[in-house]
Amino acid sequence: MSSTPLAPGRPRTRRPHGPRPSHRPRRPRFNSAYLFILPSVLLIGVFIAEPIVQSGWMSLHDWTVGESHHKFVGLDNYTALYHDHRFWNALRVTVVYTAAVTAGQVLLGLAIASRLRRTTWYTALLRTAYFFPFIASLVVSGIVWKFLLDPQVGLVDAWLSKAGVTPPDWLQSTSLALPTVIAVGIWKNVGFTMIVLLASMQQIPPDLYEAAALDGAGPWQRFRHVTLPALRPALLFTTLIATVTGLQLFDLVFSMTSGGPIFHTESVVMYLYQKGFVEFRMGYASAVAWVLFVVILAVSALQLRLSRYRDAD
Amino acid sequence: MHVSHRRIHGYGRAAAALAAATTVSLLLAGCGDNGAGGGGTSAGGVVNLTMLTGFTGPDAPSYQALVKQFNATHPKIHVTMTAEPWATIGQKLPASWATGQGPDLATPSSDPGSIFTYIKTNSVLPLDSSVGTGPTQIDSAAFPAPVKSAFTVDGKLYAVPANMATLVLYYNKAMFAAAGITAPPATEADFVADAKKLTTGSGGKPSQYGISLADNNTIQMWPILQWMNGGDIIGQDGCAVVDSPASTDALTKWSQLVAKDHISPVGQSGADADTLFSAKKAAMEINGPWAAAGFTSAGIDLGIAQVPVGSAGPVTLASTVPLMIARTSKHPQQAQEFLAWYTGKTAQTQFSRISGFPPARTDLGSAVASDPTVAEFAKALPHAKLYLAGQANATSIDTDAYVPLVQKIERGADVASAAASAAKTIDSLTGCHKN
Repeated sequence: MSSTPLAPGRPRTRRPHGPRPSHRPRRPRFNSAYLFILPSVLLIGVFIAEPIVQSGWMSLHDWTVGESHHKFVGLDNYTALYHDHRFWNALRVTVVYTAAVTAGQVLLGLAIASRLRRTTWYTALLRTAYFFPFIASLVVSGIVWKFLLDPQVGLVDAWLSKAGVTPPDWLQSTSLALPTVIAVGIWKNVGFTMIVLLASMQQIPPDLYEAAALDGAGPWQRFRHVTLPALRPALLFTTLIATVTGLQLFDLVFSMTSGGPIFHTESVVMYLYQKGFVEFRMGYASAVAWVLFVVILAVSALQLRLSRYRDAD
Repeated sequence: MHVSHRRIHGYGRAAAALAAATTVSLLLAGCGDNGAGGGGTSAGGVVNLTMLTGFTGPDAPSYQALVKQFNATHPKIHVTMTAEPWATIGQKLPASWATGQGPDLATPSSDPGSIFTYIKTNSVLPLDSSVGTGPTQIDSAAFPAPVKSAFTVDGKLYAVPANMATLVLYYNKAMFAAAGITAPPATEADFVADAKKLTTGSGGKPSQYGISLADNNTIQMWPILQWMNGGDIIGQDGCAVVDSPASTDALTKWSQLVAKDHISPVGQSGADADTLFSAKKAAMEINGPWAAAGFTSAGIDLGIAQVPVGSAGPVTLASTVPLMIARTSKHPQQAQEFLAWYTGKTAQTQFSRISGFPPARTDLGSAVASDPTVAEFAKALPHAKLYLAGQANATSIDTDAYVPLVQKIERGADVASAAASAAKTIDSLTGCHKN
């Protein structure tokens, strides 16, 4: 072992044998691994973290696009939001849509997955048919359904009229517009839930069903005590995804109703879009975005808590 | 072994440095100047101007033809026009102009009230220094009065009309003949009677509607029905008059015609209304010049007439798109020269002929009279009014107050209370304080 020459004047010391004492300060070493994660850190920082912080800052200002000076208003935007009837209406619409679509999507997806569990040419065809709407664009789906349900030139109303039924104003009626959008939302997403649950069902060992049958369990008991517990992680996943995407509702109402009639289908994100990108009130729109973020965070945390999901599951 | 480990470690550092350098380069490239900020001057001394518009529809070639002609007749200036959807322009132009970037010229929105956003941020060039009657000056005196008024803020002219449109009454001649009606309605009384007579069917679901009215995502038709009777939305003092007796009388009459007599479907968007008329399921529609080609190609035996006259005299709705110059344009003089030519007699006459729009000048009566369609739109110019003219919060007034009002009363809501609620919203948006 060669010794390293030290600076003149410094006493030459001998390194002791044995392990390095733990209390001795280490020379900081450059770890090249940090450079490899640098691209991801920069991209996340620039495109995710910075906009989040920026929107929080904007929500504390009277921030209009293009203006050189933005007045600091503290929590005024949030106070105004609290008294904004249109925001509360949008929140109510969003919550109703999310609850209905999530429940419909998961229950219907579970029912369809159970019926299509066995693989035959017929069930394969049906699975494809159910999944197909999911891969179509939300905007395209919305526009197609808007035309189908048009009271004057729509196919659905024409069929109903031929059958002697007076067709309702699906999207113009204040009482029917939201249920119609909900129905289209379920139709659009049920295929995704079905595929995830189907994949999870096919991982359940057949032995469990055989053992349950030997113990005298009927079809419902086998479903209740074997299938459902095994599906719990998949059910949690699909419920969480459906909830979060439901709370972010925008494309469907934008293309089908533009939030009408009289704001009966206006979602929070639609309202945010209106304030931010039509009226250019970015400060107020940022406050709406932060409230929505907190709602999504709270609902997601609540769902995880209620389902008592742990990695061990 | 120790040596090879150090070598590998050295390669790792080199690779990491390369990765970091690549990342930083990419990010810097992304953050760099995108080349916006107006046109420059080429080697031949030609000034290049960039112009951003929202004319993406079937009328786009008419604007391109105009720009092409300007370039051909002005060898020292070259204008390059690009078109993007209005929503895209609305999202990026305010920030780009406020930061000294973006095109030299632009149409910020189809809403004339959008100019306030840019004036407020000091992003737009006042045009007063180039106003006059000379060949390279902007002849603003020839603009229709409501347009000049809408584009003048605090005594300064900030925009010229990129186009001008008036709404007229389209009608299906075949349906009129089948109903035994020989001429389009000239008065409001005839208008109401014809709309009822042309509505056929029963059970609240007519097989044919007298008129196709839209209330959302459209150029507004309902203000015309109010103006006919002397009603309005906002008064000269900036306070709401939508709840005035004249306004509520008009709104009551027309909302009952829709809700009880079913002369029009409820809650239509502009596209829905056009589809209904094109499908020959409605006999009349109030619309602008852009709709004529589509109606003709739909095979309608099309008639065009002036909007019927009510107790308040002839009136219709005008529409115009503002065309402005960026304050930071490097070539303001050339940009103003372009606007002067664009709004001049030669260009406007040509534009009317190829687009079917009326000219944005009031002194071209005989020049456009040869085309009966253009002449019909031009005839409405003297009494045409802009919707929510001069209102900085026009968009909010439309979406938060007026559209909900119309949608409520079409569905049978009490007109007086709905109008009072709308008036309250409007006053809060305009800052009006009534005693």
